[in-house]
Amino acid sequence: MHYIPRWLRRGLFNLFAWTVILLIVLPLVWMITTSIKPQSELFLIPPAFFPEEVTFEHYRRLLTETPFLTYLRNSVILAGGTTVLVIVVATLGAHSLVRFSYPGRETIAGAVLFTYLLPSVVLVIPLYFLMAALGLVNSLFSLVIAYTSFALPFALWLLRSFMSAIPPDLEAAAMVDGASRFRAFIDVILPQAAPGIISTALFTAILAWNEYLFALVLINSDASRPLTTGVMNMLVTSFNIEWSLLMAASVMMSVPLLVVFVFLQKYLTRGFGAGAVKG
Amino acid sequence: MTQGYRNRSMTPGTNTQSARPGRTLAARDNLLGLAFIAPTILVFCAVIVYPLVSAIYLSLFSIYTPTMEGEWVGLANFQELLAKGEFWRSLANTLLWTVGTLTLQLLFGMLVALMLHQNMLFRSLARSLVLFPYFLSTVVAVLVWRWLFNDLYGIVNHMLMWSGFIDMPVDWLGRMPNAMLSLIFVGAWKYFPFVVIAVLARLQTIPDELYEAATIDGAGSIARFFDVTLPQLKSVLVVIVLLRAIWDFKEFDLIYLMTGGGPVIATQTLPLMVYKEAFALNRMGVASATAVLMMLITLTFMIIYLRKARD
Amino acid sequence: MSGLTLTSVTKVFGSTTAVDRLDLSIGANEFVSILGPSGCGKTTLLRMLAGLEQPDSGEISIAGKVVNDLPPSRRDIAMVFQTYALYPHMTVAGNIEYPLRKRGLSKAARKEKLKQAAELLQLGELLLRKPRELSGGQQQRVALGRAMVRDPQIFLLDEPLSNLDAKLRAHMRAELIQLQRRIGRTMVYVTHDQLEAMTMSNRIAVIRNGRLQQFAPPQEVYDKPANEFVAGFIGTPPMNFIDGVLAADGSFKHGELRLDLGALQLTQGFQPAADGTPVRLGVRPESLCFDDDGQNARVTVIEPVGHELIVMFDYFGVELTARVAPNCGWSVDDEVRLRPVIDQLHIFDPDDGRRLNAD
Repeated sequence: MHYIPRWLRRGLFNLFAWTVILLIVLPLVWMITTSIKPQSELFLIPPAFFPEEVTFEHYRRLLTETPFLTYLRNSVILAGGTTVLVIVVATLGAHSLVRFSYPGRETIAGAVLFTYLLPSVVLVIPLYFLMAALGLVNSLFSLVIAYTSFALPFALWLLRSFMSAIPPDLEAAAMVDGASRFRAFIDVILPQAAPGIISTALFTAILAWNEYLFALVLINSDASRPLTTGVMNMLVTSFNIEWSLLMAASVMMSVPLLVVFVFLQKYLTRGFGAGAVKG
Repeated sequence: MTQGYRNRSMTPGTNTQSARPGRTLAARDNLLGLAFIAPTILVFCAVIVYPLVSAIYLSLFSIYTPTMEGEWVGLANFQELLAKGEFWRSLANTLLWTVGTLTLQLLFGMLVALMLHQNMLFRSLARSLVLFPYFLSTVVAVLVWRWLFNDLYGIVNHMLMWSGFIDMPVDWLGRMPNAMLSLIFVGAWKYFPFVVIAVLARLQTIPDELYEAATIDGAGSIARFFDVTLPQLKSVLVVIVLLRAIWDFKEFDLIYLMTGGGPVIATQTLPLMVYKEAFALNRMGVASATAVLMMLITLTFMIIYLRKARD
Repeated sequence: MSGLTLTSVTKVFGSTTAVDRLDLSIGANEFVSILGPSGCGKTTLLRMLAGLEQPDSGEISIAGKVVNDLPPSRRDIAMVFQTYALYPHMTVAGNIEYPLRKRGLSKAARKEKLKQAAELLQLGELLLRKPRELSGGQQQRVALGRAMVRDPQIFLLDEPLSNLDAKLRAHMRAELIQLQRRIGRTMVYVTHDQLEAMTMSNRIAVIRNGRLQQFAPPQEVYDKPANEFVAGFIGTPPMNFIDGVLAADGSFKHGELRLDLGALQLTQGFQPAADGTPVRLGVRPESLCFDDDGQNARVTVIEPVGHELIVMFDYFGVELTARVAPNCGWSVDDEVRLRPVIDQLHIFDPDDGRRLNAD
């Protein structure tokens, strides 16, 4: 049994671990380098890892020559609108499920859980019909409503686990101190639930930002398309697939994610831990 | 002597002074609780219950998508589907895809979780980086991987040729079995961080004392993994497998955007078939029937799985 | 008149009856302890008084008014929780002012009351801190301050001292007693610690399995327990019990042990049979006497507690505990002579536990 000194073992492990991690993010690194490579370098065989020259030409073209900015605006409205709606409804709902006891509560909780698992593809057809009947097709509003079908159960599940961690005595103390049940919710529960609400809001926003199928079915006009379908549309309608533009678009679509990661990462992992899996 | 305790046998509700005076406060409380959940129920009924019921209803009609007009056909849609090979082929593809990508997700996920559980340099940075594929938009993931898999310029082919594994560039998405394999792999890349986070969270709750006791009892690191870690992970893994299986089974975006179901229908899964019937073949009724069948299959698997997991 | 009355109050959770047809009448400005083991229903009782739970049947009245339908905010009560339940996102000052804000007091009035409470509880330096920065004892005082600041008729306290260490607990007990005398309001104090109940209360309500066992001043609960449960629950070290047979002539038999209980008066309803009726004898540790009139007993365990010794004996097969002066000079396995003082004995019915003494 040969003796490997501890420092060497740790060194090798770190090397191995970081190699694995770099391999995982390699596609993303490649995405970034492609987006800043000048067109000439793009189609080299064999392809080079690092650009010899860095250019932001593709970004400029993306923003000025394509409907990208329109798509961006739509995505922002969509993500923002969905998040606000879902958070308001889900916070009230989660509080009800956690702190009240009325007949039918468990059934509702079970139903929420069940819908968490529904395929969107099942709902998309009838929703299309519904929106068509209401004259809402091609509007971002219809997407916001449609998104609640998957965002709301998820948010409820997350918020439920966050809010059940708030000590019940706090609400009781507020009621004894003179607050009505509703006031106790505002004064005491909401501030305590704030970190959980932020986590849920982030998750919801990301879900809405990334969604594709509903946007594909419910929106047909370029003016209302969000980034997901808009960018894919750019791919399909162009005669030549402009990979540099697409990579630039991909990078830009991922920027909000990056921002969240850098500054708000703890909210994401907390949400994951709380809601994703209960051990 | 003792005071106050009267040994009357009284049944509740026979207090003549006021009939169950406590009820109204409790009732008001319940009403408030229901008021809080009312918006949720409203939204649910509108965007989940109603469409769900509609989907089942629509599956009994033959509907032409652009005009949305149709006529009653009863169970004919279902009969047609079950008789046609395409439905079964799609089902087989879906199962193949689900099992394949789930297995890889679990493997990668657990390995990386174990890795991240150790003390490593810049551990929190590592954890953030590992999460990226999961939160990335599927559109972005697909674009990037399609670029990577590009036969002429993609670095996947380049690196494999450079390291001598292959001589000629490979068509990763246009031929079988490559297309399914590529899909499975990309699916694993995108979704394995979910497994990482869930497993890591559980790993962090395993008390050190268990490992210490095992070490004292003579267990080496492999034995410690199988005898301490794995049993503790079992409950989490049961839930992860269920969730990921259901979500992988109903995955639409990734497969549609990567291969579109091709070549021909070699990678067409049930969700893709639903979309194709509805919007390419303009047969809403058949699409709904396919969706209903899909749901029944999912439900059956879920029930079987939960029953087995309970033992 | 700020008394509190419960009339036949019952609360059922699923298949468990937490509170069972309880009647209790607490007078104005009384300090009453609700004492019992874990799970006996005392916290449920307190929460029903507060309005946080609703009784399934029965009435709760405060100051003569039935309050079953009133929410907690309208009952003019204040509560101190076992976990203190301080609002984590508010400062100490914010916590104490909160009830006043809910009552709509002006800013000036709030500041004035805050100042009074802070002075009374010595919280002056802590006003701007957040609860998580405070020690257990400090948090408890803030919880008290928040309760006091509204000047309610009734204070409800749910095991407020159980989260403190022993020394602090003793100190806070004394402070609470002084506080109650000073502000002179009704206090209902839930605890499982009989020492707290004994030292602090005007009267103690002993609860078991949701039923009231006895409601009397501390000394009475100690000297004249209503039943075997109360007798065994109150007093440290706990009462000793000896099962045996009592005959009509006053002779008590347990195995080889013979005692003459002739001097003891028994209640009218109880007549031992000529050849003997089973009874249970209760003798407190301090009611054991060591002189030549006693019987043989063997020392089994000696526990020195400083000012005295707690000594356990094997007495005719029964394990007895006694309190002994430190200089007795005994060791384990010594044989000594020991007897219970007859007129301090308690007699209980072994079936239903009720006390059979005549007083």
